Amino acid sequence: MADTLLAVSNLETYYGPIMAIRGVSFEVPERAVVTILGANGAGKSTILKTVSGVMDPQKGTVAFAGREIQGMDPDKVARLGISHVPEGREVFPFLSVRENLMMGAFTRRDPVGVAEDLELVYSYFPMLRARSEQRAGSLSGGEQQMLAISRALMARPRMMLLDEPSLGLSPRLVKEIFEIITRINRERGVTVLLVEQNANMALNIADYGYVLEVGRIVMADTCARLLEKEDIKEFYLGMKESGVRGTRRWKRKKTWR
Amino acid sequence: MAVSTVTSTTVFGQDTLPRLFRHVVRERGDRVAMREKTLGVWRAVSWRQYGERAKHAGLGLVALGLVPRDVVSIMADNCPEWLYTDLGTLSVGAVTNGIYTTDSAKQVEYIVNDSGTRFFFAADEEQLDKILEVRAACPQLVKIIVFDTEGLHAFKDEQVLSFEDLLELGIRYEAEHPGAFDRMVEIAKPEDLAILVYTSGTTGPPKGAMLSHRNILFQIDYSDYVAAVREGDQQLSFLPLCHIAERTVSVFNPLRTGATVNFAESIDTVPENIREVAPALFFAVPRIWEKFYSAVALRMRDATTPGRLAYRWALAVGGRMAEHRVAGRRPGLGLRLLFRLADFFVLDNVKRSMGLHRARGAATGAAPIAPDLIKWYMALGIDMREVYGQTENCGLATAVPPDRIKLGSVGVARPGTEVRVSPDGEILLKGPHVFMGYYNNPAKTAETIVDGWLHTGDVGVMDADGFVRITDRMKDIIITAGGKNVTPSEIENQLKFSPYISDAVVIGDKRKFLSVLVMIDHETVAQFAQEKNVPFTNFASLCRTEEVQRLIGGEIERVNRQLARVETIKKFRLIEQILTAEDEELTPTMKLKRTFVNRKYKDVIDAMYAEA
Repeated sequence: MADTLLAVSNLETYYGPIMAIRGVSFEVPERAVVTILGANGAGKSTILKTVSGVMDPQKGTVAFAGREIQGMDPDKVARLGISHVPEGREVFPFLSVRENLMMGAFTRRDPVGVAEDLELVYSYFPMLRARSEQRAGSLSGGEQQMLAISRALMARPRMMLLDEPSLGLSPRLVKEIFEIITRINRERGVTVLLVEQNANMALNIADYGYVLEVGRIVMADTCARLLEKEDIKEFYLGMKESGVRGTRRWKRKKTWR
Repeated sequence: MAVSTVTSTTVFGQDTLPRLFRHVVRERGDRVAMREKTLGVWRAVSWRQYGERAKHAGLGLVALGLVPRDVVSIMADNCPEWLYTDLGTLSVGAVTNGIYTTDSAKQVEYIVNDSGTRFFFAADEEQLDKILEVRAACPQLVKIIVFDTEGLHAFKDEQVLSFEDLLELGIRYEAEHPGAFDRMVEIAKPEDLAILVYTSGTTGPPKGAMLSHRNILFQIDYSDYVAAVREGDQQLSFLPLCHIAERTVSVFNPLRTGATVNFAESIDTVPENIREVAPALFFAVPRIWEKFYSAVALRMRDATTPGRLAYRWALAVGGRMAEHRVAGRRPGLGLRLLFRLADFFVLDNVKRSMGLHRARGAATGAAPIAPDLIKWYMALGIDMREVYGQTENCGLATAVPPDRIKLGSVGVARPGTEVRVSPDGEILLKGPHVFMGYYNNPAKTAETIVDGWLHTGDVGVMDADGFVRITDRMKDIIITAGGKNVTPSEIENQLKFSPYISDAVVIGDKRKFLSVLVMIDHETVAQFAQEKNVPFTNFASLCRTEEVQRLIGGEIERVNRQLARVETIKKFRLIEQILTAEDEELTPTMKLKRTFVNRKYKDVIDAMYAEA
């Protein structure tokens, strides 16, 4: 596979006295889609926040394109080519769609390139063009998610960190968003680190997956192989044998094999 | 020296479990018998309630058609209902048998049919599913009773009822048949079968060991061997009740001592629960003692320098106290004062962190333990005693006496019994504690009890003072290709003393050299890797890192230095999977099973020897 673009090793991040990430190491190869799965509170978002510089790790390194970036301010990290699409969209509600998109290109000094990219995101999401002068706060949840992804794309990143892009979206929209993420990855060569609860979607578009449980990685494998694992099927995909009574409620013990 | 085998054993003048139980329930009334934590609050059950519920459970079974000598199986984690069912069944003249909750449906089918179980108690939905899966193959099974019916409201089945319904049946039966229960209590005779205990068969299927009322009462009579437990003392119950040691400590002995049994919420909460309960007596298997020690050892590594120095000093003082104790000398006044100081400032805190600050007695058994570990606990001021025994002798066979301690020995024969070493080195036992034999298996019984002597299958020696040392299980002894006899468990215990090694299996039978398969301790090794900045993802990748391989290699080297030359370990491999009690290579008490490990990791083992 290609060279490693992002290498995280032995990361430990705290919220006050609480250790949210308890020694996590993983790699994201250039141009790959890598996903991190995990239940609520497993520490997925914290990992993304630590990578993008929003949070500082107590320990461990984050190397992007061979350069250590842990503890760096988020704006510097963004300038290096990492765009973070936070959970819950976080668009600027009182700015127009177009202004929101231009905020994504804030650091860029190439008006021609910016104009090209604006066209590009409009081609991915035609609806954004139609609403370009509308306030972002008035968009629907799905549209806001598209805007958040587009805004990240406007920085022309080498890597995108996507935090639960499917959150609160209808199944049809989820499908659409994931198709676009795949296209961005294939057509633009953007490396994607995707954090998801929707394991089925994530495992189908990603190349490689990690499973996080209470701040520690318990499984790491290609997504094709992860989809075959009993624990993934039962705990992430909701598939289980129904048992003798046809209504099994209890869960097996997780073994992570 | 001859011991009469017809001694009648009585406790409080009672000679069977039903009579003893009825007696103590009357005596103790509203005093607390046990506690269970529900929704975060410890709720007490009095002896009176214990007696009532056991009676109604027993009569409920009678109402469903139970007759004396029927076998009742219980498949549940430790909980009050387990005890109600146990004593209730015994009180109406029937027999109880525990089944490990980690057993699979197939194993359940074997045990239910081998024991002829007519009534089956399932803890919850999960255990119920196992018996439902195989019930078609268990024709003698009459009813299935479920303790916890959560999630089963929509489930209706002719053969299944809830524990509450069973108690209702019992209450009704009592109203219709006044005085019947008291007559049933008199059914069992001291020499009658009371309980079945299936022993995990590492070779062949499990066998049901038959224990009589007399066997059990004889052992109850010795319940103060480690510490004089008094009424109202706290105990914590968390090891499986199917195991004779836990059954004795948590169910039978309290009938005499009146100690309060607290049920741990789950195996994961044991450390917290011990701190809450602060038990007066604590019995655990070596694995638990090893874990406690590892936790303290690691915490001290992270401590501040003054903290570390204080710990080291206090432990040295405690160590000197322990040496005096082992030598049977009374330490001088200076040392005693110094120890009080060390205890006040340091050791008491260490004990508190484990929840053992009120422990007047502690015992380890059911598996071999490293003498250094016992020494560490003694240095803390915990009176830790090693005991030895097996299911077939109803628990305890030997114990280290309080006044004569020999580290590395399992002590002397329990009073009223005899120990002998056979010409080929096997430990033999005789006395009222020797079991009745294996259920429906006279051939195996005849192999095990010869002329009244129980053949334990353990190899050991006995010194002039009667102290027994166990070297290994007879069938586990390794004979290398060079013809040297090696006792693997001695080496394994040394290895397990390392905080990084959870268990190990030494290999080398008919081989040129010794090797070992190691199961690492996930928590401590992950912490080590974190400290050393060693990147890893999952368990397997942690095992494969060079640093972890070196770490374990170093631990093995440390043990090698203490071994004779032929015994040194030349190679090792790590088991790259997290094993759980559901896996066949682990026993329910989380010990690696030698035969299964040898079979399952054959390829790994062969590879080690192939490249040599």
